[in-house]
Amino acid sequence: RGAARRFASSFSSETALPPNLRLPSNLVDPDRLKRPPPPEDSSLPLIRKCEAALPAHLSPVRTWVDTLESKDSEPLGLTELHPDVFAVTPRHVETFHRAELRFSDHFSFKLIFSHANTKVRSEVRGGGRKPWKQKGSGRARHGSIRSPLWRGGGVSHGPRGPNSYYYMLPMKVRVQGLKVALSSKMAQQYLHVVDSLNIPTPDSQYLLELIRDRHWGESVLLVDVSQEFPENILQATANLKTVNLIPAIGLNVHSMLKHEAVILTLDTVRFLEEKLLWHDKRYTFLYPFKLPYSDFP
Amino acid sequence: MFALGGLLRVGSTFFQSAGTLLLPVRTISTGTCCQIRMHAIPQPKQVDRWNEKRTMFGVYDNIGILGDFKAHPKDLIIAPCWLKGFRGNELQRLTRKKKMVGDRMTTLDRHNLEKRIRFLYKRFNRTGKHR
Repeated sequence: RGAARRFASSFSSETALPPNLRLPSNLVDPDRLKRPPPPEDSSLPLIRKCEAALPAHLSPVRTWVDTLESKDSEPLGLTELHPDVFAVTPRHVETFHRAELRFSDHFSFKLIFSHANTKVRSEVRGGGRKPWKQKGSGRARHGSIRSPLWRGGGVSHGPRGPNSYYYMLPMKVRVQGLKVALSSKMAQQYLHVVDSLNIPTPDSQYLLELIRDRHWGESVLLVDVSQEFPENILQATANLKTVNLIPAIGLNVHSMLKHEAVILTLDTVRFLEEKLLWHDKRYTFLYPFKLPYSDFP
Repeated sequence: MFALGGLLRVGSTFFQSAGTLLLPVRTISTGTCCQIRMHAIPQPKQVDRWNEKRTMFGVYDNIGILGDFKAHPKDLIIAPCWLKGFRGNELQRLTRKKKMVGDRMTTLDRHNLEKRIRFLYKRFNRTGKHR
């Protein structure tokens, strides 16, 4: 009877996976790649044209613009994205590696900082007196009971005090890292543009089902320009671990790599292009940028 | 269909049993091979990859580039005040600590700090190859 049931399961239509299956982490979901980039002669309106000056040899990248309002809606239109921000080919793999894997933009408090401390022989309590006289006692000669040779003595070359490993990569490297991260997300079709982050209901299930139906991925990063978000989306993402909301100022390479899909609004796209393209054409600074300049911002 | 499948399965087991009779295979163990103690293998530790700290790691690190340079990422570091956005060897760290925090320290700590600074100064500037 068990043999018959096992045999029958090979003909069943349910896609039940065995419980001890281990999938590789870089498995590509074929449903996600089913939607090709918009064709040249698409009937949908072009919602946003690229404002910045394009170089003559590059053409803007076109993407669909979706809505979060309803689950099964068609894309609203098309957007043009600047190729120098969203279609950058990393010419040197080394800068790419530096910018992304060496934590170009993270200053986490644990990793740049160590509180490990040991006492040196002068700091350990006691040990000022010579324990026994130099000659005659037959024991080895010692000057204090807290020398590093002794048990309970100081450490000679141990970690010293709160230690900082702070560093900053050059500004242009950090900017290039952001551009490369955005381009890679775009190229792998993990980047989606949305008109705004308004949802009909503050329900987390609605968001999860929307993400599942559109095959965006397991984890989603929603980015909006302003610091104030609509109530609905705040409530919906409050309890979800893998769907996170950040303002555009908080965008960084680590979060982009951690979350599978990155969702930008149209305003965010404009903001990012403006901020990231300025560094291509700026002069080097004479004094820090936070002090006032006549022509910036 | 099912009958066929059932027959095939029975046939294979029959052949298998016949094979075992033809080629006897017996595993002999004298108790000297490595004995894995099943209860002593520790459980792999369960790490939550999506807790608050890990999800929000690195957010606001580009606050300078993306935010008009009003703030710098070094303002975000949680560290002792004499080490925020500073990197140096031990002597530099200790002299900075003495400058910034020295008058707030306890007498014993201050005394140890001064002794250590004196020792390191002599060590770096009077001994060794690089002075």
